[in-house]
Amino acid sequence: MKKILGCLLWVFILLAPGFLQAQEEDIGILDDLQKKYSGLKDYTVDVNVHFDVEGFKAPDMQAKLYCKPPDKMKIESKKIFFLPKEGGTFNPFIFNREDFEVKFLERLTHEGSHAVKLKLTPKRRKPNGPQDFILTIDTDRTVIREMSTSTIEGKEVKARVKYGRFSDFDLPIRIELQLDFSFNESIEVKDFGQSPQPAKRVTGRVEITYSNYKVNIGLRDQIFNEKDSSKLRDRP
Amino acid sequence: MNLLWIELYKTFSRWRTYIGFGFIALIVLMTEIVMKLSAGEILGRMMRSLQKDFLIYGNVLNGWFVTGFIMNSLHIHIPFLIALVAGDMVSGEATSGTVRFLLIRPPSRYRIITAKYVTAILYTTGLVIFLGLMCIVPGLALFGSGDLVIHHFGKFGIVLIPEAEIPVRMLVAFVAAIWSMTVVASIAFLLSSLVENSIGPIIGTMAVVIVFLVIGNFPFDFFRSLKPYLFTTYMVFWQRFLDDPIPWQEIVYSAAIIGFHSLGLFFIALGAYARKDIKS
Repeated sequence: MKKILGCLLWVFILLAPGFLQAQEEDIGILDDLQKKYSGLKDYTVDVNVHFDVEGFKAPDMQAKLYCKPPDKMKIESKKIFFLPKEGGTFNPFIFNREDFEVKFLERLTHEGSHAVKLKLTPKRRKPNGPQDFILTIDTDRTVIREMSTSTIEGKEVKARVKYGRFSDFDLPIRIELQLDFSFNESIEVKDFGQSPQPAKRVTGRVEITYSNYKVNIGLRDQIFNEKDSSKLRDRP
Repeated sequence: MNLLWIELYKTFSRWRTYIGFGFIALIVLMTEIVMKLSAGEILGRMMRSLQKDFLIYGNVLNGWFVTGFIMNSLHIHIPFLIALVAGDMVSGEATSGTVRFLLIRPPSRYRIITAKYVTAILYTTGLVIFLGLMCIVPGLALFGSGDLVIHHFGKFGIVLIPEAEIPVRMLVAFVAAIWSMTVVASIAFLLSSLVENSIGPIIGTMAVVIVFLVIGNFPFDFFRSLKPYLFTTYMVFWQRFLDDPIPWQEIVYSAAIIGFHSLGLFFIALGAYARKDIKS
């Protein structure tokens, strides 16, 4: 019995470093992701959003998105434009290893490609921000295929991303979001004829399609500094 | 027709008639200026619950949004302004001592009362049109145009109406609002035809409207069961024109209920006044 246990221990000792190294390699895909897009200086793209969310009745919305990684983004729209906060835009640079505790979950095959599933927990959590992200990363193309996120308030968002090739970069052509969140009215200006309702679970699907990419065209920082009066400011 | 012109002349010669227009002009302009000055704060409060989940871009606080907001806020107060004139329509003759002089003229009581009722309805129409113009014209000038976001408070319900559709929808919504307000004018008119003092019909009308609104909105099952029998439940059917899809069946039903109430109240007033014993 002791011999068997001893053997198992040796096997474990021998395999553990390899296993840990494999996990570290899988987690390292996040660095590869950043490296892959390091040449992406800026881009503009036309966005079309189609909502299929319970209680949300709106025609498709269009806007032009200006992006300058890692953190500059501007949306220009002549009409009213709604975009889901989580998963509504593509930015691989937010998944910086230094900002998250990364946990390897599994290796899998995703639509015929090798992939890994990682759990990222932000080191510094925002009060209403995501409490974790689960990413499915295609290791063959080094792109995020799926992202699931949840918040403390119970909001769950699942994003599936399809890519196209633009100027040597894999950029999303379609993001499909599955939303599931609770809606609790906190409005102060109330119509006399209405009475507040208890929190309601809202579910639905949002389809975001991207077209007409223009990559590395030398967008000036000034574009992003211009006061964006069209965006409603977040209130505390 | 002559009678109608005379009634219109009499009504619009009184300064009291213009209180409603003055009040609307003052309150709407004040609201619009305040909304313009503290646009961010107001919008933030109104959209706070949506902003938790969505990034929102574009001119949400536009003239149409402001119009919808003011209409939602004022539909409680407009009945008072209508009662102020419609409640004085018949009883005002008694108060001023002209009723016997009026009734000894050739036109029948039916014609006189009908002319007065039509005048009350035209005043109501004018008041709501004025409200609409006061909301839309300065609203568009101050806030610009754009798509209309309708947020149904208390539940997750967002309707976005494209800018191109809004003028027509607003027009029919205001026509529906006029139709809704005829029931208030009819109550005031009926009460006015029953008494000889104008204060009673004005206060009585407001009491009926407020009590019905309160009963209809109490969150108790007993009161909820009464809601379908209260005309105030159907008075907000103008809001349905800003829904998607437009619930035509509900609109037709509400409009019919309001119409029956208005006609019924008018015929009661007609009958009551025809049999009324005028003593002074």
